[in-house]
Amino acid sequence: MNNNIILKTENLSKSFFKYQVLTDVNYELKRGMIAAIIGPNGAGKTTFFNLITGYHTVSGGRVFFRGKEITNWQRHKIARIGITRAFQVSNVYPRLTAYENIRQSVLAQQKRTLNFLTPAERLAKKETLELLEITGLAPLKDTKAGILSQGDKKKLELALALASKPDLLLLDEPTAGMSSEETHETMELVKRLNKEIGLTILFTEHDISVIFGYAEKLSVLHQGVLVAEGTPEEVRQNKEAQACYLGEEI
Amino acid sequence: MEIKNPFFKKYWLPSILFAVALILPLVITQFWIHVFTEILILGLFAIAFNLIFGYMGQLSFGQAAYYGIGAYTTGLLMVKANWPFLATIPISMITAGLGALILGCFCVRLRGIYFAILTMAFGQLVYFIIFQWYSFTGGDNGLQGINPPPWLFGATSYYYFTLIIVTIASIIIYAITESPFGYTMRAIRDNTERTEFIGINVYRYMLINFVISGIFCGLAGALWGPFNRSVAPDLCSWQHSGHPVFMAVMGGPHHFLGPMIGSVIFTFLNAFVTGFTEYWPLVSGVIIIIVVMFMPGGVFGVIKQKGYFSKKQAVNNTTNGVGH
Repeated sequence: MNNNIILKTENLSKSFFKYQVLTDVNYELKRGMIAAIIGPNGAGKTTFFNLITGYHTVSGGRVFFRGKEITNWQRHKIARIGITRAFQVSNVYPRLTAYENIRQSVLAQQKRTLNFLTPAERLAKKETLELLEITGLAPLKDTKAGILSQGDKKKLELALALASKPDLLLLDEPTAGMSSEETHETMELVKRLNKEIGLTILFTEHDISVIFGYAEKLSVLHQGVLVAEGTPEEVRQNKEAQACYLGEEI
Repeated sequence: MEIKNPFFKKYWLPSILFAVALILPLVITQFWIHVFTEILILGLFAIAFNLIFGYMGQLSFGQAAYYGIGAYTTGLLMVKANWPFLATIPISMITAGLGALILGCFCVRLRGIYFAILTMAFGQLVYFIIFQWYSFTGGDNGLQGINPPPWLFGATSYYYFTLIIVTIASIIIYAITESPFGYTMRAIRDNTERTEFIGINVYRYMLINFVISGIFCGLAGALWGPFNRSVAPDLCSWQHSGHPVFMAVMGGPHHFLGPMIGSVIFTFLNAFVTGFTEYWPLVSGVIIIIVVMFMPGGVFGVIKQKGYFSKKQAVNNTTNGVGH
């Protein structure tokens, strides 16, 4: 297998009882890319992420990460091997402060969570503050995550994912609930991470300007089937892709 | 007055409580020394239980099993094998921990109400084994004659001994709750699913926490036998598992000392009210209704929400009236 391929799925399928939500998706993602998966609501984008990260069990097909099969691995093992995700609906620790949220993820990454006697407040300071800084959450570090605004929660969500130091970052609608300014800032951050540390990023998004502004590769899912794939320009010209976004100019 | 000493500034409440506990036997009668010894033992039981409830976010309704295993280990070793009391204490912690490991393997697979029911079922299992096994445990007669060594025979000396053990145990448990492991427990409580996605094996961590809780429940149980001079199967019953639940809810499960304060209220009232009426359960029932309805978060929840500790915390706690 080509070493440059960080993520590959073979005939990946998922059905919930008799409902087929994803059918034979063959997908490949090159290391170091920013790619997007687009499609209308219910197309199977989140399910695709859920299968890769072990959230749901796979009904059919296989998932490979850096050439290694990871189909139906346990969630924490998939996270440990280098795939992390940020959730569509922010999924943070509401009763911990923003700082504690991030520190938790940093400590997990550093494999220090089985330390029983050192006060956690003495550990992982530098890394945590750094993540607070780059996600713009530094002024809110002592605020409990439960009372952060939607946009800030999404930033925290991203920070939690980044703290795991992943090789592949899956972002499920990373900018949903953000103002256009925050959207821009967040996507610039994602782009910077991609350029500077070579982080591979796969994201889903509804915002057309974000999709075409940042993705190098687009894949279109429609009713659980991968219908088109290519550079943004190729997809823009693709008839099937256009049909999926009926009435919407892409 | 500004408090300068950083240690005292952070730990003023436990420091004051400890100081009060130290001088208490000088000013109260023997009956109340007994009551306060009981407060300490049950307080440790409740603090250990709260590792699962307040920190891990699961309700165990069977912690009395591990308390009982600890109490019976000490009792049996002292009565049947003539072991010295001090030597039985670590053994009690180990057996209770082993019990928690074996039963916890099954319990921590479940969450919420199912977790509560399974812990209770296993608790009852332990209860019935002890209840039925006459030849070994004495069945419903229990074990009598668990006498502490002569230097601990007096109420006051046993009180101080208990105070030292409970204080050390509490400091260790507190250190655990403040460690990365402790924060991982809070993370699991707040969002179990998310915790898996940052690469943590939730099952394993919950099991470890369950065992730690069991070990300290066992320690509390070990202190009980020589204090009461006997043990009975009731120590393992589901009613007895309810006591730490009651204490944690009343004192505040979201503050480390909440369960201890709950133990003060519960045990004190128990001793006080039973002097007037035999309907103590009725009184405790009314209290729990009042706490649940009007002060969710217990005594500490109310104090924190009103911001008696700090202004910033008050703002942070307006969402749900809790800290940690």
